[in-house]
Amino acid sequence: MLDVDELRSGYGQLEILQGVSLRVGDGAIVGIIGPNGAGKSTLLKTVFGYLHPFGGSITVGGRTLIGLRPDQILRLGLGFVAQAGGLFADMTVHENLVLGGYSLPSRRELEPALEAAYAQFPLLRDRRRQPAGSLSGGEQRALALARALVLRPRLLLLDEPSAALAPRYIDEVYASIVSVNQAGIALLIVEQNVEMILSVAHRVFVLDLGHNAFDGTPAELRRSDRIRRLYLGETGATSWEAAES
Amino acid sequence: MKPSPRFWALATAVALLLLPVLFPHPFVLSIVTQAVIWALLAASWDLLSGYTGQISFGHAGFFALGAYVAAALSKHLGFSAWLGLPLGAAGAALVGLGTGFPALRLRGHYLALVTLALAELIRLTSQNWLAVTGGPFGIYDFGTFPGLPAAPIPRAQILYGLVAAVVAAGVGLMLYVCHRTRAGRAFRAIREDEVLAESLGINTTVYKLLAFGLSAGLAGLAGTLYAYYVQLVSPTVASAATTSLVIGMAVFGGLGTIWGPALGAILLYGINEGLRFIGVVYNLVAVGLVIMVFVIFLPRGLAGLRFGRARRTIRRDAALSAANRLDG
Amino acid sequence: MSLRPPHPARSPSAGEREHESPSAAEREHKERALESLLEFLIQGIVLGGLYALFAVGLTLIFGVLNVINVAHGEFFAVGGYLLFGALVLLHLPPAASVMAAAAGTFLLGLAVYPLLIAPLNRRLGRRPAGSLYLVLTLGLSTFMQSSLLAIAGGDYLRVPPLVSGILEVGFTGVSYQRLLVLTVAAALLATLFAFLRWHRQGLAVRAVAQNPEAAQAMGINLARIFALTLALGVGLAGVGGALMAPLFNVYPAVGFPLTIKAFAITILGGMGNLVGALLASLIVGVAESMVVMVIPSQWQNGVAFVVMIVALLIRPQGLLGRATTR
Repeated sequence: MLDVDELRSGYGQLEILQGVSLRVGDGAIVGIIGPNGAGKSTLLKTVFGYLHPFGGSITVGGRTLIGLRPDQILRLGLGFVAQAGGLFADMTVHENLVLGGYSLPSRRELEPALEAAYAQFPLLRDRRRQPAGSLSGGEQRALALARALVLRPRLLLLDEPSAALAPRYIDEVYASIVSVNQAGIALLIVEQNVEMILSVAHRVFVLDLGHNAFDGTPAELRRSDRIRRLYLGETGATSWEAAES
Repeated sequence: MKPSPRFWALATAVALLLLPVLFPHPFVLSIVTQAVIWALLAASWDLLSGYTGQISFGHAGFFALGAYVAAALSKHLGFSAWLGLPLGAAGAALVGLGTGFPALRLRGHYLALVTLALAELIRLTSQNWLAVTGGPFGIYDFGTFPGLPAAPIPRAQILYGLVAAVVAAGVGLMLYVCHRTRAGRAFRAIREDEVLAESLGINTTVYKLLAFGLSAGLAGLAGTLYAYYVQLVSPTVASAATTSLVIGMAVFGGLGTIWGPALGAILLYGINEGLRFIGVVYNLVAVGLVIMVFVIFLPRGLAGLRFGRARRTIRRDAALSAANRLDG
Repeated sequence: MSLRPPHPARSPSAGEREHESPSAAEREHKERALESLLEFLIQGIVLGGLYALFAVGLTLIFGVLNVINVAHGEFFAVGGYLLFGALVLLHLPPAASVMAAAAGTFLLGLAVYPLLIAPLNRRLGRRPAGSLYLVLTLGLSTFMQSSLLAIAGGDYLRVPPLVSGILEVGFTGVSYQRLLVLTVAAALLATLFAFLRWHRQGLAVRAVAQNPEAAQAMGINLARIFALTLALGVGLAGVGGALMAPLFNVYPAVGFPLTIKAFAITILGGMGNLVGALLASLIVGVAESMVVMVIPSQWQNGVAFVVMIVALLIRPQGLLGRATTR
């Protein structure tokens, strides 16, 4: 459903993405991995309209996203979860969720949508009156995810969902990701934690220095000697830092 | 080589400066003399705010201090203008240094607002301390430079020459400090990235204080020149309108260049006075417009104007850097 | 006006005539002292209410847009001029005049974001807002004040009180006009706080103040919120200007001293903190009013600045700390 073609983007004079292409099929989980500075986050931010690209195209169902603001792209069925969640730390869990439903077409849809969120993430119901910043790391990620789901997007962009999380929380987050996907939502996930993303993705794109370096299924990725040597290391390291060291 | 707009602006300014020599008309002399005084004030503001990045919204206060100290000394103690000049400047410099200390801890808008408050306090004092400052009516009848010829035109010309010389010395001093001394490099470093400068071993405290003292002192010097030229010092001198005008001139001329604001002051004052013929009130309207338009569309002011396609250079020039540094 | 310290108490001896006069005099001194104290306190609270209207609007703008509106006082003046126009020129009833002034200032405020701030935003790109906006609003302030001067002239325009009469409060009294200012200020501020706390758009405003990028990801149109917030902030100033017109008179520079004082107040309260601004306004209002009992009144205006300078030196983050509209 998402088509990115020869995308060039960056900050000011600095061109970080120098012609990147990828596709996300309906209901698929697509991962983006690569070393630091490869432009992974830049890619997500450009797709969601935070950055204006220098060139290339971004389309959803044939409709271009370039030139649209994030709040407009949201209404086309895309959702965005920033690194570290982008929560409103001083607002309560409930207020964060209500904001997630800000662009619901009708106020009447808010209550059932919130109920669904609490049903899917029961721990949030217990904490609904607590400030979001007081939640644990894993709970914050759950809240960020729940909040993004209130609008029932067709495609969810996740920027490093496992960043700075303790291992058990990472498992929880990825369990949520899988169940979200089972409901039919496509996901485009930028990840540092190679092992986790390989375990859930249908397709993986490898970026390096602003270019496509590889794309294929996780199995193909693991089979490719070149990729394994360059990016995963002989030891099959689980993250880029380990592979680069 | 096609002369750039910068060249034309400079040429216009030089022409304006030479006008009193070519056309010794009292009106022309009056405008140009005051324009030059504003040039010194604007340049002194730029030294602190544009070049070193310490935003001051209270330069009217230092200006007023210099003016009042000089006028008061001459009126109450009979000091000659030659003494009043350095003493007024010194007084302002001391207060500037004093402001510099608490300012060390403040950044961006806090600093701007505190300096604004200081200027207001100075204005309040000048309005109410009747014994020394003459209250709302101010100080007058304190004489001017001794030894001037009696005939009005030569008197005004010599006075102009005097003022212009002092201003040139002041601006020259600032340019020298900024471009040829270690202090200048420190100022630029502090403007760019204070934390980095500190970690590179630059004693930011000393240099920030130096910038405050020097800037305030030269603003005070401009104030003393104003006092002895106009021969009337009243509380309006310390008003926010003065600061607004100075900032407008600096933005117009180009922040962070020292000479840009001096140039901007001369041109803007000239235009301002010229527009008085239309109607006294509309000139300030124009000043407000100039500030807004230039901040949005021409942040580098006149100093940054250039024809032709802007080259994409990685190295930023001083004015743009200073303009950007005004953020946060 | 100074208060003489009360005489040391003397032991009463019933029936002794020579003791009766001093104690009666004592009581009278105390009554008068209490009277003036009460009077100054009330004036201080009323003043605090006005300052609150002004400072809360200023803080709201700073908290959400990260812009210090140096031209805030000019919107106060515009409110006064609009009231004059509605009440004196068009002979509208007082309530309608105040609402016209409020609406007019609000509409004018709506123009500021798209015309001035948005273009500067675009130029600066992803850079955080900062002192350059300060210079921009300084230019706006100069422009507006001198435009008012050009359009309406510099005369002090007189406006009759919106309500007349005096309310007796114990031994002293306060004019209904001043009470009106306090009441309206309290009502408006309460409405504003309720709006921010409970209304969906108020939630959006707080979200933008806390995290503009995340707010966008919620579907919030930043430009609309910015424009709305700015208009709200200056609208409050406009109402203040309309209500104070009978007391301050109307002239182009009427708002500027308030602006400077409001800066002091917002810094005292903690920049970006609405409750802090409210508290600080009351503190400064009462302090300014009561300090007249010990220092000559011409220095009254300096109180706010001294307070601010002291506050900045001791506790730079203000009373309640730098917070966004929560």
